[in-house]
This record gives sequence, structure tokens and C-alpha cells, in this order.
Amino acid sequence: MITFFIAPFRYGFMQHGLLSALLLSLSGGLLGCVLVLRRLALMGDALSHSLLPGIGVAWLLFGPSTPALFAGALIAGLLTALGSALLSRLTRVKEDASFGSLFIIFFGAGVALLSRLPTRLNLAHFLFGSILGVGAADLKLAAATSALTLLAFLGFYRSILLETFDPVFHRAVGGRGGLVHFGILALTVLNLVAALQTMGIVLGLGLFLLPAVTAYLWCDHFGRMLGLAVALAMAGSVAGILLSYHAGLASGASIVLCLGAFFFLSALFSPTHGAAGKFFHRGGAEDAEK
Amino acid sequence: MPPSENILRFHDVTVRYGRQAALEGVTIDIPCGSLTAILGPNGAGKSTLLRAILGWLPLARGEIRIGDSHLQHALPRLAYLPQRHAIDWDFPITVRAVVAQGRYPALRPWQRLSPRDHEAVDRALAELDLTAVADRQIRRLSGGQQQRIFLARSLAQGADIFLLDEPFSGLDLFATEELTHIFRSWEAQGRTVLAAVHDLHLARRVFTRGVLLARELVAAGPLDAVLTEANIDRAFRTGHCVHS
Repeated sequence: MITFFIAPFRYGFMQHGLLSALLLSLSGGLLGCVLVLRRLALMGDALSHSLLPGIGVAWLLFGPSTPALFAGALIAGLLTALGSALLSRLTRVKEDASFGSLFIIFFGAGVALLSRLPTRLNLAHFLFGSILGVGAADLKLAAATSALTLLAFLGFYRSILLETFDPVFHRAVGGRGGLVHFGILALTVLNLVAALQTMGIVLGLGLFLLPAVTAYLWCDHFGRMLGLAVALAMAGSVAGILLSYHAGLASGASIVLCLGAFFFLSALFSPTHGAAGKFFHRGGAEDAEK
Repeated sequence: MPPSENILRFHDVTVRYGRQAALEGVTIDIPCGSLTAILGPNGAGKSTLLRAILGWLPLARGEIRIGDSHLQHALPRLAYLPQRHAIDWDFPITVRAVVAQGRYPALRPWQRLSPRDHEAVDRALAELDLTAVADRQIRRLSGGQQQRIFLARSLAQGADIFLLDEPFSGLDLFATEELTHIFRSWEAQGRTVLAAVHDLHLARRVFTRGVLLARELVAAGPLDAVLTEANIDRAFRTGHCVHS
């Protein structure tokens, strides 16, 4: 039994993969909560897809340089966000439709670009990640990203809470809402790039959103939701990597599947906010009406 | 008239959205320590006036002062209360945690709430009769209690001028009575309530003073003097003309 847990991590690449996933679980869990509570879950998903051409161009021009990949991704993400805002103002198309259209165009451009890329890496690697490829540079990026995100949350916890819960109040008391919002988006892009190697561009967001939305089903306190989301992301990463090793599955996909299992179980059985809870505790709702 | 530091002075206040004027040349003095309703048809500039006080909208012309000081120096005295539908009631947060947000502006980034901050939060909770439900998630409260959370937050903030946008919308009869009662006692304590209200009938029952707008000022002063048939006619007819 013990070998089941220990055996995979005799290999250096598995240790790297695990460490990188745990580091990103910390920052991803935190960011995911803000994305879920601000109802940016789908936007985050669209954003992650739109990063692909930026990464492709950066790879083409600079090779596998981490700063270049991040810059490329950030530029592509910003172009999508700004472009859709501009489109919705200048034309009849509404914000959601213009965002939806732009990200899919960007994604298409990215796929086209990467399919022509002169490298031994293939498209699937960018889309779905591969834990085998986590190198020292990736680990450093994951550590830096995770530390930066954690520091931002510790230092600006109250601003982040206010901006998430009641942006109007935040502004009324002199808060810099735009800055917090942009900071969250920039950290999201940074984390997606850092998760590129392990999770890939499509599955990366799963490590952020699934733990957060699961924690949302259990917690009535913002701080506890953040803590639980991080813990769930870490547990899901470990379980996912074990599953991927023993069942020979892609690492990103197995992590997402494990986190997905947590989510479905919680959605069904969380006593306060799950489906079963809603079904059995009708009385609780009436109690609140009084 | 109250001492001059307790008068909210609007001089020639003009706000434009693009080329469209939302408020045009509004000059009024609103004495603090009163319940003042901001009245008028849709698009008359009620919310715009509130936002202008908070400094969120650039004034095309004119200025707003509290007594002799510029509004920027009086921000801690002002509290803005969100409209009900602007709040996500499923947010994982307790009543106490929302009220504690009133203390945030006074804290530096790494600073924790001091015992004095906690006292201020407890006092605000007690004044609005929320102590018993302080540790509940905000969804698990009645409509009136939910409204009072945000009143408590602005008390914890130390504000004495309260700006509200349609505070009565979505409240049932009982909660409306309750809120009226709170406003009255605040007036007695010298606090100022300035609320955008679309319902003239309700305004008559709750407020003592009024400001009637139709992009420009139609009338201001004691409510009975403001809500004359001629004034209402003028405000609402111009309002409709502007819309068509």
C-alpha cells in the first residue's frame, strides 16, 4: 500500500511534477475563489484559450524562454480583453458575444500557429500539459508565481475581499478597484502560464476553478473558503498524479478528474449548499424567512 | 440654520454623460441632521446627484462642499449604501464580517483590527439589533435585517452622512416601517440621511425635506413646500419631455 504512494516519486520528474502542482495549487486555489465569486469563471476559461497564440508567437521568436512565454500570453490575454471591450462599444455586438468570438479566433490562430511550429513538442502538449516535461525552469516559475500570488493575497486581503464582495463600497472608501481587478487578471494569466507545463492551457483553469467552486459549497466565510480551496487543490493534485502514474493517464486530465470528483460529491452531499441539503432541509430556508 | 460646517452646499452643479446633461446648474443647501429625499422621475438625476457627492463623477461645472471644506476632506463622514440587487447574498461572509468592513478604510494593508475596531463593530451591530444574528451567513436573514447590515457597516465606519439609492425598494411593509423608525432616530441624533426615492407617497411618510429634480432643480426645502401639485407637474412633465 505504501509503495502505491511512494513508488511514483522515486523518479525525479515525478517529484518535480508533484512539487510544481502543489505550488500552483496554492496560488490557483486562492485565485479561483475570486474568479468564482466574481462570476468570472467562464471568462477565465475563455481567457485561458486566448493565450495560445501569444505563447505560440513567443515560442517561435524566442524559443522556450519563460519570460517570453509569459509576456506573449499576457499580451494575447490583454488584446482579447481590450479588443472585446472595444468591439462591444463600437458595434452592436454585446460584451459576452464579442469576448466569445474573439477568444475562439485567438484560439484558432494559436492552434494554426502551433501546428506549424518547428519543434518536437506537439500541440497536445500545449493544450493538455505533460508532467514528464517539468524542468528546473518550470519549477522556478511555479515557485515565483505561487509566492507572488500568496503575498498579494496576504498584503491586499481586505482590498481583494471588498472588491469581490462590494466593489461600489470599495470605491466609495477610496479603494483602487481597477487596480485590484487588473492585478487579479494578471495573476491569473501568470498562473496559467506557470501551469502550462503540468496542466496545459485548456486544463490549467481546472486547477483554479474546481477547488474553489467545491469550497464554495462548504464555506460561509471568505477566509475559510480560500483555505479549503487550497487544501482541495493540493489533495486533488496528489491524487491526480498518483492516478496518472498508476493508470497511465495524462497528468492534467487526471488532476482535473480527481478535482471533478470532489466537486460532484460536494454538489450532491454538502449539507448546507448541496442538492441533498436543499432537498432535506426545506425547513432551514423557511426559518430564514422569519 | 445649523452651523456652516453642517451644510451640504451645491453650487451650480452640472454633470454630463458625454454631451448629455444629467444635472444642470443645481444650487441647493441641504442642512445636515435632516432626512432628505431626492425626488423626481426616472432619468431626473437622482442617482447622479448621489454619485456626484461621492466624487465619482467629474463635475462639468460648479462645486459641492460640506460647509467650507472640500468633499475630498470629508470622505470619512460619507457612507454610501448599495442597492439590494447589487449584493450577492450567497457570498461566503457573515454579518459581523460585513460590518467589520466599515473599519477597513482606517487600516493599513498589514494592520489587523484593534480591540477598538472590534468595539465599534459590536456597537454598530447592537444599535441595529443584529447582535443575535452576527455570525450568520448574510442570506440567512430577513429582508429588513439584510438592509440593516449595511446601515451597521456605515455606522462602524464612523459616518454621519448616509447616501442611499432607493433604500425602500424590495422591502415589505414591516421592513419599511422598521427602516423608517431607524431613520427617524438617526435624525434625532443629528445624523443626515440623503436618499434617492422614486415613490412620492412613501417619501411623504418618511422624509422631512425634499429635493425635486428634473435634470435641473425644480424645488428644495421642507417636503410639503416641495411636493406641491405645480412642482410635481413641472418635474414629471419635463421628465417625460426629455425622455421622448
